[in-house]
Amino acid sequence: MKACRFNVSLAGIGILFFSLLIFSVCFTGVCLATEDKVDCDIQSGGCRKQINGRTIDLNIFPKPVKAMQDLTFQVEISGNPLSKAPFIDLGMPAMKMGPNRVTLKKNGAATYGGQGVIVRCKSGKTIWQATVTLPDVGSVVFTFDVIY
Amino acid sequence: MLSTSSIYILFFTTGVTIGFGHCIGMCGPVVISLSLNLKGGPSVWPHLFYNIGRTLTYGLLGAIVGGMASFTRFAESIEGLQKGVMVAAGVIILLMGLAMTGWVRTSIIFRAAPPIGNFITRFFKRLLQKKKRSLMYLPLGLLLGLLPCGPVYTALLAAARSGMEADTTLGGMLAGSGLMICFGLGTIPALFLVSRLTDLRWLRHRERVYQIGAVLMMMVGVYFLWQGLRF
Repeated sequence: MKACRFNVSLAGIGILFFSLLIFSVCFTGVCLATEDKVDCDIQSGGCRKQINGRTIDLNIFPKPVKAMQDLTFQVEISGNPLSKAPFIDLGMPAMKMGPNRVTLKKNGAATYGGQGVIVRCKSGKTIWQATVTLPDVGSVVFTFDVIY
Repeated sequence: MLSTSSIYILFFTTGVTIGFGHCIGMCGPVVISLSLNLKGGPSVWPHLFYNIGRTLTYGLLGAIVGGMASFTRFAESIEGLQKGVMVAAGVIILLMGLAMTGWVRTSIIFRAAPPIGNFITRFFKRLLQKKKRSLMYLPLGLLLGLLPCGPVYTALLAAARSGMEADTTLGGMLAGSGLMICFGLGTIPALFLVSRLTDLRWLRHRERVYQIGAVLMMMVGVYFLWQGLRF
C-alpha cells in the first residue's frame, strides 16, 4: 500500500513537471515555434524564388508590412500561363495559427493579387511565412518579418 | 465551394487541431491556474462552465465581426478592451495565487485593495471561496474569451468573410457566430484534458504541490499583467 502511495506521489511530481513545462512555455513564448531564418526582406521590397523553372515574385503592400491591417498580396509568375489561380497560405513557422488563405485573382498577364490579413500572435513572435502554391506545379515558402 | 455544414465541421476540426497545437501552450497556464484554484474541489463543472463561457464569447465576437463584415475594423475597436482583459486576467490569477498560498487572508487582500465596485469584490470573493465557486467560472470564461489570441483572430477573419458573403447583416451575424461557436467547441477537448491532468485530488500530500503551484500562478499573473501593459 505504501509503495503504491509512493508511486502516486511520484506521478504527482510528474504532473507538476508537466505543469511547469506549460508554464515555461508561457514565459518564453517559444510554444512549439522554432526560429526559422528570415529569407525575404518584405519591408524593403519584393522577394524572388524559383520553383520548377518558374520565377515567383512576392510583394506585400502597404509598407511597412504590419499585422492586423488589410494587406494586398501581389504575385508575379514567369513562364506559361497557369491553368488554375495560385493562392497564398499565411502561417507562423512550426506554430499553428489556423487556416488563413489569401485567394489570388489574375490582374495582369502574369500577375495575381489578393487581400489578406496577418494576425498578431500573443507570443510576440514576428516571423511569418507565406506559402505560395501554384496548382499542378508546387509550393514555395517565403519567410519574413512583420511589424506588430 | 463548401456547403454550410461542411464549413461548420471544418471549423470544429480546426478548433480541435488548434486546441492541441496552440491553445495548450498559450492558454494552458490559465487553465492550470484555474485548476489549482479549485484546490481539490470538484473540477469538471467549473471547467465546463469556463469553456462554455469562452465559447459564448467567441460566438458573440463572431456575430459582431460577421455583422460588420470587416475583421480589421473590429480588431482596431477592441484593442483597448483586450488590453484591459489581459491586465484583468493577470490580476485575477495573481489574486488566486496569493489567496492559495495562505500567506495573506482573502479578507485582507480586499481590505488593502483600492476601492473597487461591490460587484467585482463579490465576484472575487466567490471565486476564491470553496462554496458556489463552480458557477463563477462562467463569467470568468466569458471574460477570458476576450484574451488576444492568434488563432481566434484567424477564425474571426473567416467569420468576417462569411459576413461579406451573406445577403443580410443578420445572416452575416448568424454565420459568423456559428463559425466561432464551432471553433470554440473544437478547442474544448485540449483545454479540458489539461484541466484533468492538473486535477491533483487523488494525490497525497498535495498541499506542497499547491504551494508551488500558487507561486507559479502569481508568476503567470505578473506575466499576463506585463503582456497586457505592453500589448
